[in-house]
Amino acid sequence: MLSAALDAITEGLGCERGSILLFDTAGVMRFVAWRGLSDRYRTTLEGHTPWEPGTVDPPPIYVSDIEDSAETDEVKQVIRAEAIRALAFIPITSQGKVIGKFMAYHREPHDYSEGAKALALTIARQLGFSLERAQAEQERLAALRDLQESEQRFRLMAENAPVMIWMCDAEGRCLHLNQMLRHFWGVEEAEIGTFDWRSSMHPADVEHVMGQMGAALARQDRVTVTGRYRNAKGDYRILETVAHPRFGADGNFMGLTGVNTDVTERRQAEAQRELLLAELNHRVKNTLAVVQGLAHQTFQSTDTKARRAFEGRLQALATAHDLLTRSNWESTSLRQLASGTLQLGQGSGARIRAEGPDIRLDPRAALSLALALHELFTNTLKYGALSNDTGRVMLGWSWDREARKLRILWREEGGPPVTAPTHRGFGSMLLERTLARDLEGRVEMRFAAQGVTCLIEMPINEFGERSCPG
Amino acid sequence: MPWLKGKRILVVEDEALIAVMVEDMLMDMGSDVVGPAATIEAALALARAEAIDAAILDVNVRGERIDPVADALMARGVPVLFATGYGEVKLASGATATVIDKPYTQEKLARGLALAMGVVLAGRHGG
Repeated sequence: MLSAALDAITEGLGCERGSILLFDTAGVMRFVAWRGLSDRYRTTLEGHTPWEPGTVDPPPIYVSDIEDSAETDEVKQVIRAEAIRALAFIPITSQGKVIGKFMAYHREPHDYSEGAKALALTIARQLGFSLERAQAEQERLAALRDLQESEQRFRLMAENAPVMIWMCDAEGRCLHLNQMLRHFWGVEEAEIGTFDWRSSMHPADVEHVMGQMGAALARQDRVTVTGRYRNAKGDYRILETVAHPRFGADGNFMGLTGVNTDVTERRQAEAQRELLLAELNHRVKNTLAVVQGLAHQTFQSTDTKARRAFEGRLQALATAHDLLTRSNWESTSLRQLASGTLQLGQGSGARIRAEGPDIRLDPRAALSLALALHELFTNTLKYGALSNDTGRVMLGWSWDREARKLRILWREEGGPPVTAPTHRGFGSMLLERTLARDLEGRVEMRFAAQGVTCLIEMPINEFGERSCPG
Repeated sequence: MPWLKGKRILVVEDEALIAVMVEDMLMDMGSDVVGPAATIEAALALARAEAIDAAILDVNVRGERIDPVADALMARGVPVLFATGYGEVKLASGATATVIDKPYTQEKLARGLALAMGVVLAGRHGG
């Protein structure tokens, strides 16, 4: 193409010598084709240009005699040495901007005719188009190569990934299974087109899984579904599938792409753990019942009051255990704990109003607070606001974000006039001494005449777990 | 507990200390105790032969499930109250079960029995 262009230049402008120069990526004008120029000339004048890269539609420059031009003596000397007297600088543009130039060189001073100038512009335009096309083609090929490489890379990644990956079309027909999934089902690559994965499903799971997948295809939406599938060895495995919809460039729904994870062992471990926890809880509570039996015998004839108090405390402990077991001994909600310990809504418990945000307590805090609330409850039943028919109790809690503290306020009102107890019973001791130590917090009991108040403060972090475990 | 007075209550419990305590609680409420039985075999014999108004059953008796005893009692129309640390009871027969959590107080036992026997309790009971 460049050689043909040089032919056209020399022929059209009536000279023997010509050249084509283009800006390189650094913006330096470089010789890309030439005819009849010495190496010295090219190396000396490379980069010499009347235009900056990107100049918009500059006019051509015709120098009829270099001796009359404004060029520096240095440049003139190089041109003279190459036996050149007249030169034409014709800009080559792409989308209106200069990308290079072509040159025509004459040995003698030369007047460029209007016809020659018109021809030069035509040649420059043609050359610009050709270069533009070549450039676009090159870019297209490079993009295609990049795309192929990227596709190959992702294909390899998906193929060898240590998870099961699949693709189906908009009707749910299998398009692709990666190596791990082909191994799982014992399917050869060539059989994928005819393979029906539904046949491997556990009969009891067919309805659920098919329903979920069908709905996802219809909604063109993501789906997560778990089911049992028979593998190549004939064993049922629990697979958790997470699939996402795939859309074409035109926005058309192309089907789903999914990842299957074998969660069989995880599920078994979870079931096992739940079973163990239930068994442990059963044994703990059976032991509490035995302890209760021991107390029953020990206190039998001597002190019914003491026995009852003891049984109540044991109950509070058992209730907290139950709640914690239900949450796998991770945490329990303060509201549930209050509800279970204070029998909110039943009998005298109906006169307690409990209000506060949803706060999670770790096992240690839950057990301590259960005992504390139980003590407050039994005290108020015996002596406080719930010992008559009209008293009430307000139980409120809040989380102080800045101090990172949980504040619980127990406030009695409408009970018989309060007199401060003359001796500290176990209840007060439990509240003021052990609870404060257990929770690294503060417990403040006030025996005001109009009703007992108890403020409990304990450190707790944002998610409701105590900030200092142990 | 006037409604429990003279009622014959079967107790099945393999833990002797707990059995003694339940016995005391029931006697304190005026009931007659049938048993206590500490094995499924003994419990079955009592369940089939004795006159029984209600039963308190431990769910797991020396490693064996209580279901046969519960089935025998229910077949006779005897109200059954399960006492367990498991939190809930699923019977093989699918029948619904009235449950109280271990450990339980005398008041809780009385409420559980009332529920199982369909007795409506009046008045407040706070603790």
